[in-house]
Amino acid sequence: MVVRQYNEELKYLEKISAHCWRIKKGFQPNMNVEGVFYVNDHLEKLMLDELRNACRPGMVGGFLPGVKQIANVAALPGIVGKSVGLPDVHSGYGFAIGNMAAFDIGDPKSVVSPGGVGFDINCGVRLLRTNLWEKDVLPVQERLAQSMFDHIPVGVGSKGIIPMNARDLEEALEMGMDWSLREGYIWAEDKEHCEEYGRMLSADPSKVSMRAKKRGLPQLGTLGAGNHYAEIQIVDEIYDKWAAGKMGIEDVGQVCVMIHSGSRGFGHQVATDALVQMEKAMKRDNIETNDRQLACARISSQEGQDYLKSMAAAANFAWVNRSSMTFLCRQAFAKQFNTTPDDLDMHVIYDVSHNIAKTEEHIVDGKQKTLLVHRKGSTRAFPPHHPLIPVDYQLTGQPVLIGGTMGTCSYVLTGTEKGMQETFGSTCHGAGRALSRAKSRRNLDYQEVLNKLEAQGISIRVASPKLVMEEAPESYKNVTDVVDTCHAAGISNKAIKLRPIAVIKG
Amino acid sequence: MSEINEEDWFIPPVKYEYLDHTADVQIHAWGDSLQEAFEQCANAMYGYMTEIEYVEMKETQEIEAEGDDLLGLLFHFLDECLFLFSAEPFFIARKVQILEFDRENFKIKARGFGETFELGKHPQGTEVKAITYSNMQVHEDKNELFVIIDI
Repeated sequence: MVVRQYNEELKYLEKISAHCWRIKKGFQPNMNVEGVFYVNDHLEKLMLDELRNACRPGMVGGFLPGVKQIANVAALPGIVGKSVGLPDVHSGYGFAIGNMAAFDIGDPKSVVSPGGVGFDINCGVRLLRTNLWEKDVLPVQERLAQSMFDHIPVGVGSKGIIPMNARDLEEALEMGMDWSLREGYIWAEDKEHCEEYGRMLSADPSKVSMRAKKRGLPQLGTLGAGNHYAEIQIVDEIYDKWAAGKMGIEDVGQVCVMIHSGSRGFGHQVATDALVQMEKAMKRDNIETNDRQLACARISSQEGQDYLKSMAAAANFAWVNRSSMTFLCRQAFAKQFNTTPDDLDMHVIYDVSHNIAKTEEHIVDGKQKTLLVHRKGSTRAFPPHHPLIPVDYQLTGQPVLIGGTMGTCSYVLTGTEKGMQETFGSTCHGAGRALSRAKSRRNLDYQEVLNKLEAQGISIRVASPKLVMEEAPESYKNVTDVVDTCHAAGISNKAIKLRPIAVIKG
Repeated sequence: MSEINEEDWFIPPVKYEYLDHTADVQIHAWGDSLQEAFEQCANAMYGYMTEIEYVEMKETQEIEAEGDDLLGLLFHFLDECLFLFSAEPFFIARKVQILEFDRENFKIKARGFGETFELGKHPQGTEVKAITYSNMQVHEDKNELFVIIDI
């Protein structure tokens, strides 16, 4: 890392509009393209403070600030356009979290990096609607929260309850949500409202280690821990009545269910295995990066191809996982209201992936190119009329689901043409951490956090008490700041705001 | 699985701490020898997954790991410990003891003393997704080390 005074560092940063900063070449060595990040006044301060802290003399071994990581990504071979930091950006493993980077598949030097996808491959958010209203749910709120908690396995060491053997797992890895459909866990329409229709065709389970499969098998159909959750939410505000209508959201007060989870131990192991492989590939192919954590391999190399195929299998795992929990949520609601999920109109509004690499067509310098787009803590946000979004959303643009944190609001945005041009159709993914976990544990009080949630009328079921502090809203950036910045910058539009009334967490 | 002997009931003192890191957790472990620091580091990881006092030493599991260098060895050692927990036998250790610590060829043979993780008996802590090389440090002179675990 280049060590300079904070004032010197600032010379490489330039505010180019109210919500956008440019990172000039030279900020980090060997930058092939420039970097860019989106912030409002409040987030800008957090971002620059992080940089200032890292510039303090005597700082050893902390971690790279997000803005430096964005610049390091800009130095990877084959990157095109810009290395983009979204408003929720914070320091991550190699790539920043909230970082988007696209690589030209036509360029033989281009790379794929597991760090650009993250350990939790195809971590994502799914939103279900219901035809219930707040008044229907309030009298049974606690019971419903408990029922959801009883239905969905959560937290460390929990095991899936959907019967699976090794052969089922192989099929699920290959088929994604087609497997869930065949086994009767989901509705055919669910697939329509998922990215890639819930199945990456490039998946090849034979490229996945036995170790990953062993970790994955018992965990299929579990929520996990950390920032993952299932929430019962109420539509709080509608900004775009027409788009909301297309999503089946009629009015303020309607009840929805949001599920935030990923590929569990399976994806974590696929990522770990790939990082070990790529260390070797980097030495062999003499790939130089600014940071050892940016382990990568040429897209065309054996390691690169193997990773993409096993990543796709992990993506399928994640879709099956969210589908299994969709099934469990539908059961919990149907039992509570003594009816069927059909009669409750519990359709999937949409399902997004915010940790993934995908092959997409984009216009670069006026030419159409096939790119490998890495989105880590960043959500795809395609504009109206894009061929890869479902018929139902052709006129509104792709729905983008932004999960809040425990007790805060969540949002539904829609993709825009401006986002397509500026950020390769990408936007933020959530709040992004502001406090470290250890700091949250020290500074926040368990009972206080719970009391505060109770005062807001939120029922909470959390498996681990420690997690209550770590995941408290105070530990995160304000999701409203993040979403408003995306809206103001025009890279996506606000459509719906949701507030939680019940939170189920690991 | 080997017998648990009289001397195995000894619980080592805690020589680790969890340091600040934005999204993840940094483990700082130390000891009188590098071997002890490695053991402590594994204990620290298990300690993050549950409240470790609830774990009884009912059985043992053998752990073997090797690497290309000291950092690689630490990475694979912890990865093996994590794997024991994440899949069959879902084993959580009260303590990990290194039996052979080969610093020439970067090989470890170790034994974990603990039991199968059981919901209801063991409080759920935080899930560890992966071990990372991120800012990993092994200070041989001071017998201490730093690892960031992804959670």
